[in-house]
Amino acid sequence: MNSIWAVATNTIKQALRMKIAAVFIILLLILLPVMGTAMTGDGTMKGRLQTFISYGLSLTSFLLCLLTIVVSIYSLTSDIQQRQIYTVITKPVRRFQLLFGKLLGVILLDVALLVLFSAIIYAVAIYIPTYFNANEADLIQLDNEFYTARNGLIPAEVDVSPEVLEAYDKLKKSGRLPEDVPREKIIARLTEDQRRWKRAAVPGQQLIWEFQKVKPLDPKQSLFIRFKYDVSVNPPDLNVYGIWTVGDYRQIKYGTKIETPIRNFDRKDLIRTFHEIEVPANVVAEDGYLAVGFLNVPMNNTVVIFPPEDGLEVLYEADTFTGNFIRAVLLILFRLIFLACLGILASTFLSFPVAILLCLVVFFTATVSGFCLESFDFLGENLSWVYFYTIRPLILFLPQFDKFNPAQFLVPARLLSWPLLAKVAGLMICIKALLLLLLALLIFSFREIAKVII
Amino acid sequence: MNREELSERNTSCASRDARYEIMEYAVETFSLTKIFSDWWGRDKVYAVDDLNLQIRYNEVFGLLGPNGSGKTTTLKMLLGLLYPTKGRALCLGGDGADPKISARIGFLPEESYLYRYLNARETLDFYGRLFGLPAKVRKMRIEALLDMVGLKAVANRPVGTFSKGMARRIGLAQALINDPDLLILDEPTTGLDPIGTRQIKDLILELKKRGKTVLLCSHLLADVEDVCDRIAILYGGKIQAEGHVKNLLLQANKRQITTSDISDTAVEKIKQLIQGEHADCVVSSPMDKLETFFIKTVETAQQQAQPTSGAVSTTRIGGFLAPETPVENILDKLVSEPVSQETPPEPPTTERVVPVETSEPKPDEQLLNKLTEPTRPVSPKPVVRSEKVKTEPGQAEAPKPEQVKKDILERLTDHPTHEKEDSE
Repeated sequence: MNSIWAVATNTIKQALRMKIAAVFIILLLILLPVMGTAMTGDGTMKGRLQTFISYGLSLTSFLLCLLTIVVSIYSLTSDIQQRQIYTVITKPVRRFQLLFGKLLGVILLDVALLVLFSAIIYAVAIYIPTYFNANEADLIQLDNEFYTARNGLIPAEVDVSPEVLEAYDKLKKSGRLPEDVPREKIIARLTEDQRRWKRAAVPGQQLIWEFQKVKPLDPKQSLFIRFKYDVSVNPPDLNVYGIWTVGDYRQIKYGTKIETPIRNFDRKDLIRTFHEIEVPANVVAEDGYLAVGFLNVPMNNTVVIFPPEDGLEVLYEADTFTGNFIRAVLLILFRLIFLACLGILASTFLSFPVAILLCLVVFFTATVSGFCLESFDFLGENLSWVYFYTIRPLILFLPQFDKFNPAQFLVPARLLSWPLLAKVAGLMICIKALLLLLLALLIFSFREIAKVII
Repeated sequence: MNREELSERNTSCASRDARYEIMEYAVETFSLTKIFSDWWGRDKVYAVDDLNLQIRYNEVFGLLGPNGSGKTTTLKMLLGLLYPTKGRALCLGGDGADPKISARIGFLPEESYLYRYLNARETLDFYGRLFGLPAKVRKMRIEALLDMVGLKAVANRPVGTFSKGMARRIGLAQALINDPDLLILDEPTTGLDPIGTRQIKDLILELKKRGKTVLLCSHLLADVEDVCDRIAILYGGKIQAEGHVKNLLLQANKRQITTSDISDTAVEKIKQLIQGEHADCVVSSPMDKLETFFIKTVETAQQQAQPTSGAVSTTRIGGFLAPETPVENILDKLVSEPVSQETPPEPPTTERVVPVETSEPKPDEQLLNKLTEPTRPVSPKPVVRSEKVKTEPGQAEAPKPEQVKKDILERLTDHPTHEKEDSE
């Protein structure tokens, strides 16, 4: 442990004294406060904050990722290149201890810098409304929609397979099945249709969605119904009229004594844009049950559809902004740890420039992994198994930085829950990073340290 | 191994370690071979070819050879930096890469590869920590070593700014920090000035006295000749000659007589005597070696207190390096004994070395006293200017450091010569 610690502190000293870290530190120290004041977003106070937190965290994450790659690679490759390793590895230091020491040093440096910069971002984010003299309405909106961590519940998927099969048989019997399309595709298409129908209301129809386990942080606060209308025929004024009912629907259904209030809202909303209905959180039943009903008023004279992906969602405050922010920062730390392991692995068998190149490719691929998977999936249809057994596992092995982007949670004030965080940690660190590290240990334990010089 | 050598070794390290009795050699190789292949796996070069080397305990062994003869490759294989293609290498009876073994080895590579951004003291501290030395022991050894290699005054300067010779000294210090039983030195004197070279040679001899085994690798023949007991000459990865230096170099068919200045008539008489034996005879005055002459000259300059920013060495040896007779492990002693009561609680820091105490009445006079001290051939301190002090050299010395240094060394060792030196 002594020697691991000695190597770790030496790695930190190297990063700091060789001024590798200094460039990144100075850049961030200047940019972050400037961004806080200069970015306006869409002009509203919320937009300003969202832009700042999004760009601030992304920039910090990006620069620290680069720093991690550079430091982790430089530390070992320069030791090998400049041969300081001759005097280190001939001391009673096992090779794995040297690697762990380097890794520990890089991670400690990351933690220190991450704490510093996220503290700056947090402070600026908290201070912005005061600095720009936000008015009362803005402050309330910010409290509800920014300085919070809202959990979003979407309606459970309904099983539509009986209807799909029925529709398929009907088509088959009537001989209207397209001949050149395989059965799976037709079924998929029919399933999609049926799902849409389950989320559509003809004029005069009421849709009811039921939610379980709704646990607002504080019943005195509000919860929000976030929705988007789609229609079959555009109404003349592009608005849809609807009556919303929110509360414990079982009380009406079974005629029991009313214990929690049931609220009704008459609304007129623009189609194809997001809207939120604010509802006092006390409508939620003791056991976390909540029902949301929508009545398509006959005068609309059109079918109203709630798109399956994002048509309807119940949002409620599940944690504080601070808690969410800390978890978002941890998400960045996981990335850094993964990259540190990757850098160490690359430096066990590659020279500095090649290792840097490799890590950057991995980093950028991981940053757009969603896009990569989609595009390769599309292209791969023709390459079938070749693609399936080669490129796809490789991309899947990469971490998905874009899928777990901290800004994606903080900007819409979405809850980044501990279980989700633990899942990311398990996947990114305990499996992927650990595998990289094991590979690094394997390579480094067996390679010859000295160069061939005769 | 003859009987004399055996008995000599037994007395010097009899109780030091039972392992010595079991294992005959400190370093032993069996058909050690290293072949460097090209990218396609075809054999290209035999760097070391079927090498069988045996180095006894407490021996100074010189590995000689021209450039590219496989000396360094052999060392690297001993230390586990390279893997042998064939054969085996043993250090202190085990694998050189095993932490238990490498904890007892000191290694100085062919160049001192140091972390440029660390200063001298931090460098030694880093290596001390790699050995897991406790903080207290580490501090004491570092001070003693800095003192020994004469870099105390520049201890807070990044080693990246050191000249090659100074870097070499730090390299040597790091090789000694664990009080090694086996010292592997690869070209220890490259880049050193003649004084430094002489000091390293003296150090090697001193270490031998203290029971260490030294494996020396060099192509500077003069160095090897002066210190080595036995040598092996490598060429093309093979041993071409091996044996005791004296035996190898002895010109058995010649005799040399050295006398003090005698009269010409006496010389004539001797000549006649020799001619009576039908032998040839040449008479001349012996010459000084250039090394001796150079050292004398520099010493004179030092005594005139001419300033230098370079390294200055003492002739002292780090006290902790286990002396020849003592049985106990010096490390255990340092840790177990209540050292703090005897020594000043804080080992000397460079801040203390930096002098400039204006209250000091007559610094120059003190300096002069120290300079004229007869016993110390190379008197370092007076001409050292601390990095932080940019004034004239006369100001740069206060009595304190000497005091402190003496304390550590006394504490660290009870080696009689040191006490004598200090008391004078």
